[in-house]
Amino acid sequence: MQKATINRRHFLKLSSTAAGALAIGFMLPGLPALALPGEDCTFLSPNAYVRIDTRGKVTIYVAKQESGQGIDTALPMIVAEEMDVDFKDVQAEIAPYGTLKEGEHDTGGSQSVMGMYTTLRNAGAVVKAMLISAAAKVWNTSVSNCAADKGEVVNTVTMQRIRYGELVCAAARLPVPKAVTLKNPKDFTLIGKPEKRSGLKDILTGKTKYGIDLKIDGMLYAVAERCPVLDGVLVSVDDAAARKVAGVVNVVSYKGTGAPMHVRAGVAVIATNIWSAMKARKLLSITWDEGKKNNESTEALFKTFETLAGGPPAIEVFKKGNVKKNAGTNEVTAAYAEPFLAHATMEPVNFIASVKGDRCELWGGLQLPDWTVNTIAETFAFKKENIKVNLAAMGGAFGRRLHFDFAIEAVNIARQTDKPVQLLWERTDDIRCQPYRPANYHLLKATADKKGNLVSWQHHVLGTPIAYMTEGTDTKNAPEMDGANSGFCYAVPNIFTGYTPVDFNQNRGWLRSVDICVNTFPVESFMDEIAQRLNKDPLAFRLSLLENRPDFKTGDDPGANVQSPSRIAGVLKLAAEKIGWKDPRKPNHFIGLATHSFIFAKSYAAHAIEIELLAPKKFRITRVVAAIDCGIVINPDGLLNQMEGGLAFALTQALKGEITVSKSRVVQDGFFSYELLRYDEMPPVEIHIADSKEEPGGVGEVGLSTVAPALCNALAAAGDRPRTLPIRNEGFSWV
Amino acid sequence: MPDFSLNVNNTPYTVAVEADMPLLWVLRDVLGLTGTKYGCGVASCGACTVMMDGNAVLACQRPVGTCVNKKIITIEGLSDDGSHPVQQAWLKAGVPQCGYCQPGQMMAAAALLSKNKNPTPEAISAAMSENLCRCGTYHRIKSAIQLAIKALNP
Ligand code: FES
Ligand code: FES
Repeated sequence: MQKATINRRHFLKLSSTAAGALAIGFMLPGLPALALPGEDCTFLSPNAYVRIDTRGKVTIYVAKQESGQGIDTALPMIVAEEMDVDFKDVQAEIAPYGTLKEGEHDTGGSQSVMGMYTTLRNAGAVVKAMLISAAAKVWNTSVSNCAADKGEVVNTVTMQRIRYGELVCAAARLPVPKAVTLKNPKDFTLIGKPEKRSGLKDILTGKTKYGIDLKIDGMLYAVAERCPVLDGVLVSVDDAAARKVAGVVNVVSYKGTGAPMHVRAGVAVIATNIWSAMKARKLLSITWDEGKKNNESTEALFKTFETLAGGPPAIEVFKKGNVKKNAGTNEVTAAYAEPFLAHATMEPVNFIASVKGDRCELWGGLQLPDWTVNTIAETFAFKKENIKVNLAAMGGAFGRRLHFDFAIEAVNIARQTDKPVQLLWERTDDIRCQPYRPANYHLLKATADKKGNLVSWQHHVLGTPIAYMTEGTDTKNAPEMDGANSGFCYAVPNIFTGYTPVDFNQNRGWLRSVDICVNTFPVESFMDEIAQRLNKDPLAFRLSLLENRPDFKTGDDPGANVQSPSRIAGVLKLAAEKIGWKDPRKPNHFIGLATHSFIFAKSYAAHAIEIELLAPKKFRITRVVAAIDCGIVINPDGLLNQMEGGLAFALTQALKGEITVSKSRVVQDGFFSYELLRYDEMPPVEIHIADSKEEPGGVGEVGLSTVAPALCNALAAAGDRPRTLPIRNEGFSWV
Repeated sequence: MPDFSLNVNNTPYTVAVEADMPLLWVLRDVLGLTGTKYGCGVASCGACTVMMDGNAVLACQRPVGTCVNKKIITIEGLSDDGSHPVQQAWLKAGVPQCGYCQPGQMMAAAALLSKNKNPTPEAISAAMSENLCRCGTYHRIKSAIQLAIKALNP
């Protein structure tokens, strides 16, 4: 069984081992095996990722789950590059669940391109090598006289050409090469060129099937009323009125679970159509035992944070030198706070399950399908091989579908009927009952010597750990300190960072850029506060602590991340230059900067944001300039889309995104109270990509973390510094 | 259950459903036109936007009983093949990320442009600000609308 301990690093590890270079030539159950001589030959598929048929049509099986990040385009581009095929002849399909090694379907942490890059290059190169060998045989010449060119093999002596499709059967008789030569990146013709999303036309004509759009034969629909307090239990339900609604088939209940998914106890209405289920749900009369933790509030939680912040951290995270040195000289202190947040994917959470005897079939989007299957097998005593999973495209995920509480619920409901059931979370459920990005609080303290050199840095993070939810409160995995740990990028001689976990009775989970966002806001805001106090230019101040600092490993184990202060400085300089940091500013215009590394995904991004102050605390964002260094860029169009979208996502968080809790119940219940950025609030944005020959990094989460601090630094330059997100709570308004 | 006659994408249908069932669920679950999306059911997101007699309306807010004798166009009927100027503009600008909100976005834009081929930025903002996109594709929606306007005003 897979252990229930899964945190960001854990699934990174899963992904990277699964995607190791060994996958080449790996024969997969369920996928077309190599066609053997004498058999009807229609295609060649020497590995799980690619298939080419006798007409030359290439199908690339996408191991990672698409939810808008464009991975169904970037991954196929990598294979196609090494295969030397025209990308127009390539079709992307979801790699069916079960055709890959455990963990390889896992999608999160911006790891997909990074984790799959070498594997997929090899996968494409193997196919090309086999086709070239086949051609050499046909021409009775050596392989060195053959070259691949856009879906054909060319005899470089005679200049004869054969199309790939015609070589498929001959190639299928050849052994799969153990080692292949990969292209020199400078010879890439596809990687680095903007490509439109695969499946774009289906999206634009309404044909794309997300999980919510699937119709299984005989399928029923369900919605559920859940205990308003986490970990409460069902006492009784009066469903007489609900059962009278036309179309209602049954009303069933199910128990809640603890770690890892914290499914809430629920009562589900099953009906022949969703509308009947929704109407009937409103007629349920339910008594819950809410348990003892039914009177918590975010107001009290933040007071607790504030009280504990002044004391010593419960857990020491990173220590270097002695922060007591120089105490009291040029001291700067500030506290910052960030709220709980909901994922609010546009496609409301939904999932289909069918249970027949000892067999179970599932349909829907999952970011961690293996963990889902393992947990469902264990929870409901199914044999793993008796669980069939049909993965579907997701209308947004952002970490929501790393969790699979809804899948456990769907199985719970489906096993109480003999038909497949689609469980739909109404928007209210999504906003009120989900795994929230943890609320957090930060106390920072820094000192500088008389010459204005930064001498010490202290950062106390207080938070409601995700690991308490997924692993239980006895976990050792609590600190969510990224950005203020051993990878702290600024050269400060004395550092002390610590974490104090505070439990709270709401489920928590990973939301796009999780702890990096959480920590970049206070760190990059505080850097500006120090610069201001020391009368230094915020750009020059940062650069003085980043430039000329060599890359360093953030730990002793071989898999430890490498921090690159020079690349962090690089994106900062790029953003500052492009916004005209040194140029004279228009009256009432102010610029704020922030930079960071998304250390797990080896990518670096900075934002420079210009605002126009219209009245005290009232502003307009006039320009946003982003700079990103993510190594070799696979699909620049996809990268830009992620950076633009990341800005919108992050502005929601900076300006107005907030989940509050009263009496252990989430107060917000939909988009009227949990507001998202709207069309007319999107500022002009330009994105600059640093030229880099480094291995590709991830991009899905990199465009978020520096938005809030850059905006707040601009507002501070204009006169008022917000230290609490969303800034609306501090009286800021915008047009 | 009563019968209702509907005209969707220039095709007549008769559906037997409860009169209070919103058009959204009739389209999706009865007619199988799943291009129109559910996002909230309470007029807060625009994912369910369709055209009714040329106006952008929220299908989640229209009980089927109020849709009889109206000309309803969904994303599936905006064109046969994705050739509507709005779809073409969306394609050119590469708007979608997850794509879930995009049918609603395109129907809102198409309704606006069907009445006014050259709307002001204010009119565009007013028409588009009810449609949420969690992926944050607003920047490209803005460019796409400009492309569509260009195509409509050669
Ligand atoms: S589903 Fe109709 S507005 Fe959200
Ligand atoms: S493209 Fe994903 S919600 Fe708009």
